[in-house]
Amino acid sequence: MELKIVGLTKNYQDIVAVNDFSYTMTNGVYGLLGVNGAGKTTLMRMLCTLIQPTRGEVLWNGQNISALGGEYRKALGYLPQDFGYYPDFTLWDYLMYIASIKGLRNTVAKKRAQLLIEQVGLKEERNKKMKKLSGGMKRRAGIAQAMLGDPKLLILDEPTAGLDPNERIRFRNLISELAQERIVLLSTHIVSDVEYIAKEILLMQKGKLAMSGTVNEIIENLPIKVWSIEVPKKEISSYFNLYKIANVRTESDMVSGGKAKLRILSAKPPAEDAVLETAVMEDVFLYYFGETAGEQYGQI
Amino acid sequence: MVRYEIKKVFSKKGGKTAILALLLLLAVTCFFATDVVYVNEKGIEETGYAAVSKLRHEINEWEGYLDEDKLRQAIEENIRIEQTPEAQSKDWHMNNIAYSWKQGFSRIRDLLNYSFASGFREYDYYRADSLKPEDAPRFYENRIRLLKEWLEKDETKYMFSEAEKAYLIKQYEELETPFYYDYMEGFVNLLEYSPTIIMITVLIIGYVVAGIFANEFIYKADPVFFSSYYGRNKAVAAKIKAGFNIYTIIYWIILLLYSTIVLMYLGTDGWNSPIQADMSGWKCFYNIKMWQAYLLTVSGGYVGGLFMCFLAMYVSARTRSSVLAVMAPFVLIFIPSFISNIDSPVINKILGLLPDRLLQVNEQLKYFDLYQLGGHVTGAVPILFIVYGTAALLLVPAMYIAYRKKQ
Repeated sequence: MELKIVGLTKNYQDIVAVNDFSYTMTNGVYGLLGVNGAGKTTLMRMLCTLIQPTRGEVLWNGQNISALGGEYRKALGYLPQDFGYYPDFTLWDYLMYIASIKGLRNTVAKKRAQLLIEQVGLKEERNKKMKKLSGGMKRRAGIAQAMLGDPKLLILDEPTAGLDPNERIRFRNLISELAQERIVLLSTHIVSDVEYIAKEILLMQKGKLAMSGTVNEIIENLPIKVWSIEVPKKEISSYFNLYKIANVRTESDMVSGGKAKLRILSAKPPAEDAVLETAVMEDVFLYYFGETAGEQYGQI
Repeated sequence: MVRYEIKKVFSKKGGKTAILALLLLLAVTCFFATDVVYVNEKGIEETGYAAVSKLRHEINEWEGYLDEDKLRQAIEENIRIEQTPEAQSKDWHMNNIAYSWKQGFSRIRDLLNYSFASGFREYDYYRADSLKPEDAPRFYENRIRLLKEWLEKDETKYMFSEAEKAYLIKQYEELETPFYYDYMEGFVNLLEYSPTIIMITVLIIGYVVAGIFANEFIYKADPVFFSSYYGRNKAVAAKIKAGFNIYTIIYWIILLLYSTIVLMYLGTDGWNSPIQADMSGWKCFYNIKMWQAYLLTVSGGYVGGLFMCFLAMYVSARTRSSVLAVMAPFVLIFIPSFISNIDSPVINKILGLLPDRLLQVNEQLKYFDLYQLGGHVTGAVPILFIVYGTAALLLVPAMYIAYRKKQ
């Protein structure tokens, strides 16, 4: 199996949402990392045949997906970012309906739906209306519908958005479990969602592929060093003006002493007593996406 | 797929409420449609099932061909009753007693009023009271004579071409006479209230099916739908089939219930009488029987309603908005009534071909809407069936293409 994206571009009038994006994927999990507005969803919608690219093409096992039409969509499972459902359907009816539009025969559909309901841990909720499910349950129902056709290509757009940490871990493990024998493309702006399960990471910035590779390759190729230093609390803001700060830690004993530990991205040591640290994916994310990557003070 | 599409519609509270409302309105319509008044010998009005039996009994005493003898008999009986103190009295209660003696032939009396009117467009409720038995032979020929006189007047100059006038006269002359006089309250009431139940049904089903396409977008379920194997072909077709099935099944169930209730209550007598045998159809140029008029009315309602529902679905597919889609049948039904007051032959010709007319074919049968196509003159009814039947068929590929291309 191979999904080849060749020079894919999508323009919305003057805005270039995806710009000359090329990449080839084979079996495994691919993490598509980028801030909101980087073009991840537009790229995924093109891969799911929901929108037509302005330029470029997508090849599935060497054939253009537009030409393949239904045959390509048969191999596709998609969980959109804003996952919509029919609120008055029970979970079972919802899955059976999706199975029908995915072209599954009734007997196969029943078996698959039953299996997936158990796999995503929603056995007790089978006859509950979709609108009665919690946010996490809906996401799991979403992954179940995406998996119904036993897809060879699974596209998950921000599947962990809005989930609590427990649900997020559970979801991550579930995706890892489902990733065998298929291509999984998972977009997120949360590094930890893909850091440990992705075969390769694709960093997307302003519609372009900024960097790609395994986690180790990306970290090794980070063109900046990571340092940690302890500074008086009152000096924190001046460091923010000078450097990209990955983390600010103010432990209780430090607070009493009026100090904070900063994790700084810098080519040179930011201070004489700065300690060189091993870079992690969050540092990479901050480097490429800067202040827009995280919350206040650039923390991720 | 179709089953789930239908389930989607009726799993919503709005869908269930709409069906309940439809059943409720059906009950109300049946209540009014089965309302028959019988005036007893004391001049007191009676209603209910007993009144139906009594009225039928009264009318059945006059049953038979409405030939010269029967008409003469009706005129004589009318004269006799009119000379009684009860009819002469200024007390309305006494007049009611006199009316109770006329009930059996009151429909003949109504027809006499039309036949012996001073003009084609005139009506005098008391005209029958001034007739003599020897007037009876002119009953049927008056109908044709009045039409001819009217068509010669200036007011019809711009209304009809010569061919259309000739067509009207031919239709009038071809009407089979004498009529068979019979109790026919069941079919008269059935026809009278059929536009009400048809419009209610079409509007409510229009509301129900309006969301079939738009809901995918409203629920944000469109990405999963369109990225599925059948998302751009069979699943779209399933939505169209679901809309068609919902409309067809509900429409015919409601109309079947309506017809059964009304006819079981009031009786099926008079089903084979010409529509001209009732005063409301006296001037009709369509020479058809009561059952044919009803069949045309419900079939017209089906075709017109199908067109409106498909149009609502098409709007839903194009705009992604169920609100705009719901408005389509409302606009088509109510806008013509706002412009119908304009007295212009051209406007009238256009109005005669608007789809709302198909929801009230029993009324359309009374209108003199004529169209000349390649030397052939025809009434609006067959044109309406062909135009909107074809339009409904054309909307199928239109909505299929509009929806499957959505991005």
